[in-house]
Amino acid sequence: MSAVFEGYEKQYCELSANLSKKCASANHLDGEHKKQKISEIKAGLDEAEALIRKMDLEARALLPNIKAVLLAKLREYKSDLNNLKSEVKRIASTNLNQAARDELLEAGLADTRAVSANQRDRLLMSTERLDNSSNRIKDSRKVMLDTEVLGVSLLQDLHQQRQSLLHADNTLSGVDNNLGRSKKILTNMTRRMNRNKWMIGGLITVLVIAIALILYFKLAK
Amino acid sequence: MGDHLARAEDFESRAEKKLGGWGLFGSKFEDAADLFDKAANAFKLSKSWDRAGAVYVKLANCHLKLDSKHEAANAYADAAHCYKKCNTQESISCLEESVNMFLDIGRFNMSARYYKEIAELYEQDQNLEQAIVYFEKAVDLFQSEEVSTSANQCKQKVAQYAAQLEQYQKAIEIYEEIAQQSLNNNLLKYGVKGHLLNAGICQLCKADFVAINKALERYEDLDPTFSGTREYKLLADLAAALDEEDLTKFTDAVKEYDSMTPLDGWKTTLLLRVKEALKAKELEEDDLT
Repeated sequence: MSAVFEGYEKQYCELSANLSKKCASANHLDGEHKKQKISEIKAGLDEAEALIRKMDLEARALLPNIKAVLLAKLREYKSDLNNLKSEVKRIASTNLNQAARDELLEAGLADTRAVSANQRDRLLMSTERLDNSSNRIKDSRKVMLDTEVLGVSLLQDLHQQRQSLLHADNTLSGVDNNLGRSKKILTNMTRRMNRNKWMIGGLITVLVIAIALILYFKLAK
Repeated sequence: MGDHLARAEDFESRAEKKLGGWGLFGSKFEDAADLFDKAANAFKLSKSWDRAGAVYVKLANCHLKLDSKHEAANAYADAAHCYKKCNTQESISCLEESVNMFLDIGRFNMSARYYKEIAELYEQDQNLEQAIVYFEKAVDLFQSEEVSTSANQCKQKVAQYAAQLEQYQKAIEIYEEIAQQSLNNNLLKYGVKGHLLNAGICQLCKADFVAINKALERYEDLDPTFSGTREYKLLADLAAALDEEDLTKFTDAVKEYDSMTPLDGWKTTLLLRVKEALKAKELEEDDLT
């Protein structure tokens, strides 16, 4: 069984080497020749994809331990193929900006592909992420408790201020009453003062008139 | 600064002269008081606090001769504030004079507030017994004026220092009373669990197992939400650890609570005492066996 697989493998390796050579040469051409080369390369890519699919089927039919090794190899070939595809796309795009953008994105893709290819690393990453999230939850709980303590002390301050306001309100209404009373007393005082003034004024006038009358009668005799 | 000092000394000497000589219509005390006031202000500006305090005391004497106790008491209070910056003992004696005068007039609110200040000064000097005495006096006056929040604050301080001085029963009673009063008030009920925790820690310091468990049940009755809180869990764990005399369990419970909210100095001191007692008991038992 694995002989068939090896056969496919050899075919794929030849094809991939061919395609990469064609890619490199297509880079230096341009115009009509370039388009021709690109269509050739695309046909080659389709062939390579078909080969990979066949290899996949073969590999899954085999025993598990060999299957694991072969599947790993397959994954490498698949990534290789994807590289070639993106090369072709880059060459095909005549727009310089587009080419640069593709290169930028391609670089990012390559990194993640390298990391996630390994299962153990993936598991480690997920455990790490779980730890991070539980730490963050713990921190937020601490912050919540601190805020609660702060809130309690704020409430106590508010209570105290409420009491002082009520006390001030009482004192002020007392002041209000006293002011009313003092106003009454002052009006009484002014009234009495006016009364006394008029009385004294009246007495003086009477006395003056009496003196005038007596003088008049004395002098008239 | 030198300018203020010179002006202040000038005012003071003029006031002294007024007091020494004979003024017209007996208004000499009022004029002297006025000049003393200006002198004290100028001394305060030139930052010579002790001289300012001395002048305020003389001002108070003038007012006393004028029979206006209220003014005299205020002057003594100002003197005390000046002395606070340099000499605590003088400040305390001035505040006491001021408090006595306010009590004579009947202004309990002001006298209670000044008692609280005296107590805080003693607290700063770490003289805890005197501080407790004055805080209690302040509490009595505040309660007679129906200002329950300030009374509660002073009571809390009394309980805190009483516990530090190992008068646990008193502290427990005060904390439970405060918790009871706070329950009825919408604003204060969220602080109840803090008070119950303090009371619980004092119970642990007394190291009376039956009382601790009964107290925990009582607190649950007081406040139905208390049993769900982390404070209750801490108290229950600590009580269990004391019962089983298990030091590691005790430390674990304390560490767990501390990781969420750090314990303040007072709680740490008391819990340390409990831990020491537990350790001593463990060592004792080991000796016996």
